[in-house]
Amino acid sequence: MKLTRSALVLLFVWLVLLAGLTWFVQRQLQISTDLRLFLPSPTTAEQKLLLEEIGEGPASRVMVISLEGAEPEQLADASRTLVETLQSSPQFRLITNGDMSLDSVPDDLLAYRYLLSPTLDERPLDQKYLHAELQERGRDLASPAGAFLEPWLPRDPTLELLKVLQRWQPMQEPNRLFDVWFDRDGKRALLLAQTRAAAFDPDQQRLAVEQLDAAAERLKREDGVTLTFSGAGKFSVMMEERTRGEAQLLGAAATVGMIVLLLIAYRRVGSVVLSALPLASAGLAGLAAVSALFGTVHGITLAFGFTLIGVAQDYPIHLLSHGHTNRSPVESARELWPTLATGVASTSIAYATFLFSGVIGLAQLACFTVAGLAVAGLTTRFALPVLMDSAGRDFGDSAWLGKLWQRMERLPRPRWAGVAAIILAIAAMVLAPQPMWESDLSKLTPVPKELLIQDQALRTELGTPDVRYLLVIDSPDTEYALKKLEQLDEPLQKLIADGAITGYDHAARYVPTAEKQRQRQARLPEPATLRVDVDAAVKDTPFRPDVFEPFLADVEKARHLRLLTVDQLRDSPLGVSVEMLLTQHDKRATALVTFSGVADVAALERFAAAAGPGILLLDTKNASETLVTNQRVKILWSLAIAAVLLVAVVWFSLRQTSRVVRVLAPMALTTLLIIGILQAAGVSMTLFHLIALILAAGLGLDYALFFEHAADDPMEQRRTLHALLVCSASTLMVFALLALSTLPVLRALGLTVSIGVVSNFVLALLLTRPTAPAHGT
Amino acid sequence: VRFSKLLRAPLIVSGDLGYAGPDSLDRRVSTPYREHTAIRGESVKVERDGEKPRSFALKHAPELRGLLSGFSAMLSGDAASLRKTFDVEMTGDDDAWTLKLTPTDTKARRRLQQIEVNGHQSDPRCFAMTTSDGASSVLLLGASAAEPVAADVTLVALQRRCGGP
Repeated sequence: MKLTRSALVLLFVWLVLLAGLTWFVQRQLQISTDLRLFLPSPTTAEQKLLLEEIGEGPASRVMVISLEGAEPEQLADASRTLVETLQSSPQFRLITNGDMSLDSVPDDLLAYRYLLSPTLDERPLDQKYLHAELQERGRDLASPAGAFLEPWLPRDPTLELLKVLQRWQPMQEPNRLFDVWFDRDGKRALLLAQTRAAAFDPDQQRLAVEQLDAAAERLKREDGVTLTFSGAGKFSVMMEERTRGEAQLLGAAATVGMIVLLLIAYRRVGSVVLSALPLASAGLAGLAAVSALFGTVHGITLAFGFTLIGVAQDYPIHLLSHGHTNRSPVESARELWPTLATGVASTSIAYATFLFSGVIGLAQLACFTVAGLAVAGLTTRFALPVLMDSAGRDFGDSAWLGKLWQRMERLPRPRWAGVAAIILAIAAMVLAPQPMWESDLSKLTPVPKELLIQDQALRTELGTPDVRYLLVIDSPDTEYALKKLEQLDEPLQKLIADGAITGYDHAARYVPTAEKQRQRQARLPEPATLRVDVDAAVKDTPFRPDVFEPFLADVEKARHLRLLTVDQLRDSPLGVSVEMLLTQHDKRATALVTFSGVADVAALERFAAAAGPGILLLDTKNASETLVTNQRVKILWSLAIAAVLLVAVVWFSLRQTSRVVRVLAPMALTTLLIIGILQAAGVSMTLFHLIALILAAGLGLDYALFFEHAADDPMEQRRTLHALLVCSASTLMVFALLALSTLPVLRALGLTVSIGVVSNFVLALLLTRPTAPAHGT
Repeated sequence: VRFSKLLRAPLIVSGDLGYAGPDSLDRRVSTPYREHTAIRGESVKVERDGEKPRSFALKHAPELRGLLSGFSAMLSGDAASLRKTFDVEMTGDDDAWTLKLTPTDTKARRRLQQIEVNGHQSDPRCFAMTTSDGASSVLLLGASAAEPVAADVTLVALQRRCGGP
């Protein structure tokens, strides 16, 4: 391959530009795995809350850990060891296995027991009460519980701490064996760990996951205990790894396949290498555009984006296949440009509508693809031809292509088949039993279903509340929220009594309002009074009079304590519960009431309606479905606009109704067919299917445009046929590879596009090829 | 009979023990008040007249565990299961024997120092349990409980009654 001086300069400049882009991208690009980028922007307060919960909420930081494979007692020991190991870890804020013995309460919380327990609301800490309590303690001491209560009695003769602990127990207690959480069958010990990092901070989450993995390995080795864990953070790390792994593998396979295919097709190394330049430029330009505009790029955008702009490889293929013995590549490019430009412009327009879909991930994808395709088209037109050898092979001379074209021309033009296809597709859409659209938010995530089910099962075992209904209380500060919650206690108890729910949980169960704490504090007796009362109360009990000094000291301490706040509880074993139920942000506090065993939704709704302003019953399932539906409506509108624009571009380029119809027919039919086939196969469509549909439509348009472009010249016809064969074969190869992916999203994309390529090619062949003799130029 | 540093005089209660297999034991107090403790598997439930029942794990009450395993070992003659949780030391003869049980687990030993069982032939007569802080309780069974215990009884007096050293 000989290059002229100017061509060398061009190549050099091109490569320098690519290197510059690479540098820019390396510096700027931040990959995010926050799935919310692919969810629509919330419009209502409920949706906002929902998305916050998904992404940053404390619930999303919680990992559920299960230990199995040994005797329960060993598992319980392993559970305790794990808590000890991870407690000091910088990655985990908290790890708890449910072990809430008297000794597990942090020392600085102990004195608060008189402010936390409701005892003082009902009666004063006087001689009469103390006497009754001491009688009981005497019996306790003689009972088998005596041994473990004995050390506490001098300090806490009314067992106030026990009352507080009982209050803190979840209403729906998970099963316990040997004092730690177990599943119902007693086969798995369960723990909860809360990471410091948010679920979608993959670097930090990876450290946490690695630490758990190390712990798992150690447990396996030393005790034969199998540790499994799950949670949003793990999913995010795992999906990143898997997506990266698969993308690399599939990408490598596709690249090798592509090179082999191109070498077979063109038999020239130089051309094949050169033809990779537009695609490389497209990828880098796309990345640069996204990182300049958005800052971060979602992993899915990357994976999808590269698949979508893979189409750009078709552009140099057209140029290569249209090589001409007595025409320079530059002239060929000029000749092809109107057709190529129509294809690029219309596809870009289709993607560009995603910019306005209100989904950031889609907007990124649009930006990436449009920038990529435009750069690929322009470089194929203006840069690549200059570098190319003029003395290429002319596929116009190819005898087998000629024969193929002739055979093709004799093919029937079965219009009835088109009609039949339409009817069948519509029938499939109407008759398919599953809903046409997937509205379940959870199915939009690329996390494999089995893992989600496993995660849910673990959470259910831990007695985590019913996730569907939440009562949301929006208030200016925590104190106000806690007060509201305290007021709701009574109607909530009534709901339980009525059988509408079996339990509920809210932050005020753990932290009373400052007001209440102050009241209780005020009721604590003065030291002198208390001493007199204790002495009198002890008199006719078996206890010695002088053993309760620690009790007197603790009460005196409690009288002067600063009131307990939510923040103080944060790092105690209760932190997870409290933080999930009460979040502070932007100077506002959002408190949640969770329910378990919801049996009567109507009663719950009545209760919420009567609860007062600023209190809302959130049906998360409903909210997420509305969210998805809104998103779909927006995307469908984008698509409708895209379709109109696409027709306009094709019309503008071809300016003849019959030609426009011929070009658009295969694409439209294919779209219909794909939907029909998916529906018949029992697949409900998601966002990712829609993206795949657009991609397939873009391909169909390209094929049809080039078939249409082939006109009458037999030499030109053969060149076009060659280009299209190479294009469709390469695209089919890439997407068939994707269809092999284990990631559901990639598989959906691969399958959809593969069907699309075949259908588009066949239909373009049948419907778009010019009528043999009749059609003139 | 329960002795404790916290108490002026020992607490004396009496009632029945019902043993029904290695993981089930009932302890019923009838005087001076009524109370029912039921061990079922790993959990212990204490019920008292006019109060909410209270449950806790058997692990928290090493003395109960000792009592239970002591019983089951003696009634089934299975010393091996006893050795799993305790160091066992046996002295005396058939007519008056003493069994000393010390928990093998250091954690359990922090609370329960030792259980001493005295017996005559195949009847255990006394279970004396000493917790680590020096408190102790003595359970008199069968013949040894026939005579009433004085309100100001001492540990030494009870040990003598049981036939210990």
